[in-house]
Amino acid sequence: MPSFLLLVTLIIYPTFFVISNSFYFWNLQTSPVPLQFVGLKNFELVFTATPFVDSLRNTLVIAFVGTAIEFWLGMGIALLLNAGVPGTSIFRSLLIMPVTIAPVVTGFLFRYMYYREGGLVTWLLLQIGAPVSSRGLLGEESTALASVLAADVWQWTPFAAILLYAGLLAISDEIKEAARVDGASGWRMFWHITLPLVRPTAAIFIMLRFMQLFNMFDLVLVLTRGGPGTSSRTLAYNLYQEGLANYNIGIAAAMTVLIVLSVTLLINVYIRIAFKEWEW
Amino acid sequence: MALKTYEKILIYLAWIAVLLFFLTPIAWFWALALRPQATAFAMPPVFFFQPHLDAFRYTFLDPGVNAPQLRNSLIVALGATLLNLPFAMAAAYALSRFRLRGKRFFMLWYLSLLMAPPVVYLIPYFILMSRLRLTGTYFSMVLILQTLTIPMSVWLLKSFIDEVPVELEEAAAVDGANWFVRLVKIALPLTLPGIVVTSMFAFVFSWNNVVFPLVLSNQRTMTLPVGTMNYFATAGITWNYIAATSVMAMIPPMIIFLLLGRYIVRGLTFGAVKG
Repeated sequence: MPSFLLLVTLIIYPTFFVISNSFYFWNLQTSPVPLQFVGLKNFELVFTATPFVDSLRNTLVIAFVGTAIEFWLGMGIALLLNAGVPGTSIFRSLLIMPVTIAPVVTGFLFRYMYYREGGLVTWLLLQIGAPVSSRGLLGEESTALASVLAADVWQWTPFAAILLYAGLLAISDEIKEAARVDGASGWRMFWHITLPLVRPTAAIFIMLRFMQLFNMFDLVLVLTRGGPGTSSRTLAYNLYQEGLANYNIGIAAAMTVLIVLSVTLLINVYIRIAFKEWEW
Repeated sequence: MALKTYEKILIYLAWIAVLLFFLTPIAWFWALALRPQATAFAMPPVFFFQPHLDAFRYTFLDPGVNAPQLRNSLIVALGATLLNLPFAMAAAYALSRFRLRGKRFFMLWYLSLLMAPPVVYLIPYFILMSRLRLTGTYFSMVLILQTLTIPMSVWLLKSFIDEVPVELEEAAAVDGANWFVRLVKIALPLTLPGIVVTSMFAFVFSWNNVVFPLVLSNQRTMTLPVGTMNYFATAGITWNYIAATSVMAMIPPMIIFLLLGRYIVRGLTFGAVKG
């Protein structure tokens, strides 16, 4: 299995590198090689020298809230698609456009629209009488994280919509007919028939999106660089900042160990749920 | 269930609202690329203006700083796609056809690579490439993109190969064809649509990836979105140029997604949902 070998070589080195260096003091600006063994000091520094706890909290907020919003908005749009009026395929092709854009470019789009003076979103908010601080949406601690998340919701809700629509299409007409004959309609139909039947599709969506949101980096880089303060810093951005901006390789390695452990835990939980009845 | 006319009208109105929400930001940025600079931050926003192509001319023709970056993006994304195919094809075929021990483990291992944050690979890889004096090369970018493209392609291709009836290959096996001949002569032609779809997704994912080129490219090899970010560093951000280069970066994935049509769902879920 050549692909396995290639990937193993691509992965083994980083794994070895990360685990060994997490026990060494090493700043790339002062030395090209690790300097001294420090035991578990790096793991302590992850918490004391970097805003790791803040980043973790922001990441979890983004992942949970983002997945939930995208899922329910997407479900609403999927039901609209499933109404069976002519033109659905054109609507679907146009709807998917945000998904095609690179997340950094989405960042550019929203940074432009978030400008305090002349930004479209700011202007619309002011028009409906919402207060926008003089530092703008991205410059204010209370709104920065939400603004980053809004850009992601804009980009990925269409994915939820077309994916759940595919799940809805797979529900056979007989089942719907039978339910209707039994007197189910409207909300009851949705809760007791539709929702349980799209569950496998929904589980896959939730797993993919949760992990992608958990890893969010590009949007943060372009929109806020984690600021102001640490109000919108995510784990991935915190790691990038420590490893590739401050060049504290030892601390970054220790942080990587912590992140990989938590990601592995999450994935295992998800796989138990999403791939329970999967055929290999 | 036949809908009444007023219900249809309500649905179309909802569709229009949804499309306005999802397409306005894109249209607004395209407008930015075409509008006179003075109107870019006008309050209230200027919706009607005389469009011109100055920003495109400046960024891609004269002096055209971004033209080589467009070429770099193409080289990196095509390189990553081409390198990924033979590896992914062999793995996907093996995982689909052979009774391997630990098949489930391999599939989940590939999946977990897709789920880890890319920055995690990037730091050690960056130091390795610095030691080998390979940072700034196309090769280093193409190679690290494989952590993204191979797992994705294995999953997606496997879902396509699973659909090719195994009987054809069994018949060929009876006639004495070994697995390699069966792969090349039977599985490959029959999964060609799947291979095309997979390549398109590998291309889009590589094209849209920014984390790796951000760290691994140099002035000469930087890709288009990384080049675009340079405009933020210059005094008085030149938003018309950012918009022009971004529009250029948006076009290839948009065209590919229009061509992909009904395969979009399958590709974005790595073959897990057939769509």
